Amino acid sequence: MSGLTPFMSAMGAVIWKDLRAEWRSREVISAMLVFALLVILIFNFALDLQPNVRAGISSGVLWVTLAFAGTLGLNRSMAVEKDRGCLDGLLLAPVDRAAIYLGKAFANLLFMLLVAFIVLPVYGILYNTNMIIPGLLLVILLGSEGYVAVGTLLASMAVQARTRDILLPILLFPVAVPVVVSAVKATGGYLAGLGWEEIQPWFTLLVVYDVIFTSVAFMVFDSVVEE
Amino acid sequence: MLQKPKLLTVLDVAAIASFLAATALVFFYAPLERVMGAVQKVFYFHVASGWVGMLSFLVAAIVGIIYLIRKDLKWDSVGVAAVEIGIAFTLINVVTGAIWARPIWNTWWTWDPRLTTATIMELVYLAYLMLRAGIEEPERRARFGAVYAIVGFLSVPLTFFSIRLFRTIHPVVIGSNDPGAMGAFDMTPTMTQVFLFSLLAFTIVYFDLLWHRIRLGRLAERVESLRLKVQA
Amino acid sequence: MMDQPANTISYFIAGYGFIFGVMIFYLASLIIRWRNLKQDEALLNELDQKETTGNE
Repeated sequence: MSGLTPFMSAMGAVIWKDLRAEWRSREVISAMLVFALLVILIFNFALDLQPNVRAGISSGVLWVTLAFAGTLGLNRSMAVEKDRGCLDGLLLAPVDRAAIYLGKAFANLLFMLLVAFIVLPVYGILYNTNMIIPGLLLVILLGSEGYVAVGTLLASMAVQARTRDILLPILLFPVAVPVVVSAVKATGGYLAGLGWEEIQPWFTLLVVYDVIFTSVAFMVFDSVVEE
Repeated sequence: MLQKPKLLTVLDVAAIASFLAATALVFFYAPLERVMGAVQKVFYFHVASGWVGMLSFLVAAIVGIIYLIRKDLKWDSVGVAAVEIGIAFTLINVVTGAIWARPIWNTWWTWDPRLTTATIMELVYLAYLMLRAGIEEPERRARFGAVYAIVGFLSVPLTFFSIRLFRTIHPVVIGSNDPGAMGAFDMTPTMTQVFLFSLLAFTIVYFDLLWHRIRLGRLAERVESLRLKVQA
Repeated sequence: MMDQPANTISYFIAGYGFIFGVMIFYLASLIIRWRNLKQDEALLNELDQKETTGNE
């Protein structure tokens, strides 16, 4: 891998490690997928979705599903590191901690996107709605990025606490409100066929959130994993 | 053994005096609002509490940054104190907001962007305490607290904008298309005086409470190290 | 057009009752915690003294 800076090699190594480990066991992805599909099923019965009502809340159901599945993935991803001592191993390497953060966050993002892009067509089929709209896919990308950026940082902390499993959602959800609200509204806008002028403010919020929180997480991650 | 500093006693007196004065002003000097009646007076301490809550969380975030740079645990005790007090005052802010809304809008909750943001902020800081509760080592607890205080505070403006944008599209309360309109009324000069004085009084009370709470934290640390020493 | 303002005095009382209530509660919690810690400190100091005199 010559030509890449040490930083990027480290980041790449972390991503590759996570992807390969996940490919072998497929624990995290299958858990997230099954969970997501179950949540959609439960929502179907819980909300008794008449077709006309359903259109209005599709995007909300979608994002609640993604948020919960995302939390699952984040938890598992960091817990595995801690339990198997991989994190300690990574930290011993002479590597910029921020590279580890970006690597983990990117891997988590890939997992979340994979789940999203399987759930989308399933949802579309179950409810006979077309969900494959380019703008909508971009919203999924931006929303997931923001969610995962903060989530990876917070999961790193939560996993080191005694109350680890419960703690991540408690820490993450209040802070992720801007992402979730913006993503839901933007997604809903595309599903309802709204024009760009109406969807654009949500995009702005998403991008601002992503930029701010990815940078902040990048800067403070060091403090969260030092021994 | 730390003696109570003289300045703190002075601050105590100032806090008590200004709080009593503010209360008297609200009860006796502030006029009755012509439409809403007595409940409007809740506004003075409602806003003052909200101000103190925000200020406190800002303090927690700043002190968090300082801690991450300096690694001196005394900044952490300021952080915890600030969050605790912030939680108390934000609670006052949110509940008085509901009490004020009820007779005016005939509902306890109007999804007003400011109140909704305050509630979410409250949840963030309760989460802060839960995070700390799950960590034993003081140094790690301080680090994590600092990180979350910073992240939490940064999320507040974005939360506010997202909810406000949401509300301009979905006005929830009939007749209120302007998200800032909840409980709008014209402020007479007298009201403005009482309002500003309430802000001042609450700020003094805040710093007084903060100082006391910091001292409590230091005492707790001393007791903890004594405990370790005796058990050794 | 209303001549008199609405009678919302009970809400006013509820509001200020809550405000004072929370503030008093927090103050009380500070005082109680302080007292408990002071007691612990005294007790621990005593134990500490006993240990150091016992070791001599």
